[in-house]
Amino acid sequence: MVALVIALALFFDFTNGFHDTANAMATPIATGAIKPKTAVALAAVLNLVGAFLSTEVAKTVSGGIIKEGADGIQITPDIIFAGLMGAILWNMITWLKGLPSSSSHALFGGLIGAAIAGIGIQSVNFDSLMQKVILPAIFAPVIAGGAAYICTRLAYALTSRHDPETGSKLTQKRGGFRTGQIFTSSLVALAHGTNDAQKTMGIITLVLIAAGTQKPGSGPQFWVIAACAFAIAIGTYAGGWRIIRTMGSGLTDVKPAQGFAAESSTASAILASSHLGFALSTTQVASGSVIGSGLGRKGTSVRWGTAGRIAIGWLFTLPAAGIVGALTAMLVKTGVVGVLIAAVAGTSAVLFMFIQSRKSHVGHHNAVEVEEAGQAVRFRKKKAMAASRANKSKDAK
Amino acid sequence: MHWLELIQVAGATLIAAVTVVVLYSVGVRFTAIAGDPEQATPRWMKSLAYACFGLCGIAVLFGLYLIIPYFSK
Repeated sequence: MVALVIALALFFDFTNGFHDTANAMATPIATGAIKPKTAVALAAVLNLVGAFLSTEVAKTVSGGIIKEGADGIQITPDIIFAGLMGAILWNMITWLKGLPSSSSHALFGGLIGAAIAGIGIQSVNFDSLMQKVILPAIFAPVIAGGAAYICTRLAYALTSRHDPETGSKLTQKRGGFRTGQIFTSSLVALAHGTNDAQKTMGIITLVLIAAGTQKPGSGPQFWVIAACAFAIAIGTYAGGWRIIRTMGSGLTDVKPAQGFAAESSTASAILASSHLGFALSTTQVASGSVIGSGLGRKGTSVRWGTAGRIAIGWLFTLPAAGIVGALTAMLVKTGVVGVLIAAVAGTSAVLFMFIQSRKSHVGHHNAVEVEEAGQAVRFRKKKAMAASRANKSKDAK
Repeated sequence: MHWLELIQVAGATLIAAVTVVVLYSVGVRFTAIAGDPEQATPRWMKSLAYACFGLCGIAVLFGLYLIIPYFSK
């Protein structure tokens, strides 16, 4: 059972890397700042490094959310198995339906649902859950978005150049941001490793604690860290090939300066949160930044419909995955047959997803999760701006 | 509820992001000025730009240094 959970958890980690490469590396590839192959390899290596940097988030997952060990409430590998299954199944459902969803929240939801159904409501540490998962989930995207907004404003203000005598616009020469994006997106990849790889480490550690092979309350062991780091790095590398195929279709209208500001905010928000052990969804933070930086540009407005849809997807994931996790836990509780059914269902779901993802046409709509956030901000059309400027100059005459 | 931690994250995010973006933007601006063809471009402009990029890099590395537990022990 323990081995099965570890294998599943590592696979979950792999898919996480597979999905999220795009968030970090899509913009610099699109602006031509860096060659696709180099970008993907760089992202993989930085995810690997990031996973080793900090283990605070892993401790949150393993020690904070579910009360284990000495308090008398015994979490079993079966429950964790059920939770993981719930997360994987929910991920598959959202993926098939094309709903924006966070795999991290699916994981927590599944685990909590399974624990409540399998042990009882007293097994969940709601204080820690609120503090380390739910509040950061609400605030981190807002914080990142606000920072991105301010940064975009600053970046544009500091580099806008006007002729001192005539007041007309000079060439802005913001090309430097393109190079800068290589570094900021590298930081995003690093931050991704410090937060997302940790969640799998936390799960594996939790299983080891539940199985009695590790002391409750201790951090992840070295081989666990290494295995998770490699799983996410390999996933990142594998996922990168999908992006390379999509590059022909073009991306959201993100200017280098704007991308630079958004990525700096994303990376700082995730790194700061990881440091305090906040387990958050990197995709959500990146989406918040993209929206914030979009608003920081002149002449933009939010498409509230799209933004609202994203927000509902965020709110929905935790309870929905919880229900799936709870159902799986009940199934697992019925005995060996239940475990077998759940295992078969989960494995076939994963296989099905994998085959479908290879078959389906890859466009940037399904490769880049942040894409949707980019579309939540409406940009004023170039033509409209030119027209309004022309009108103004007419008025002046 | 430890609201302090959330405020800490917000503050750290804002300070880090603004520092990086401001330093880099100033660097970009100096590069742009140094690249202007019509004026006699002062040479120190270019080095000022590089200094900004360098400072920006140092700021990032310092941030990472603060985070990695290996160094703070």
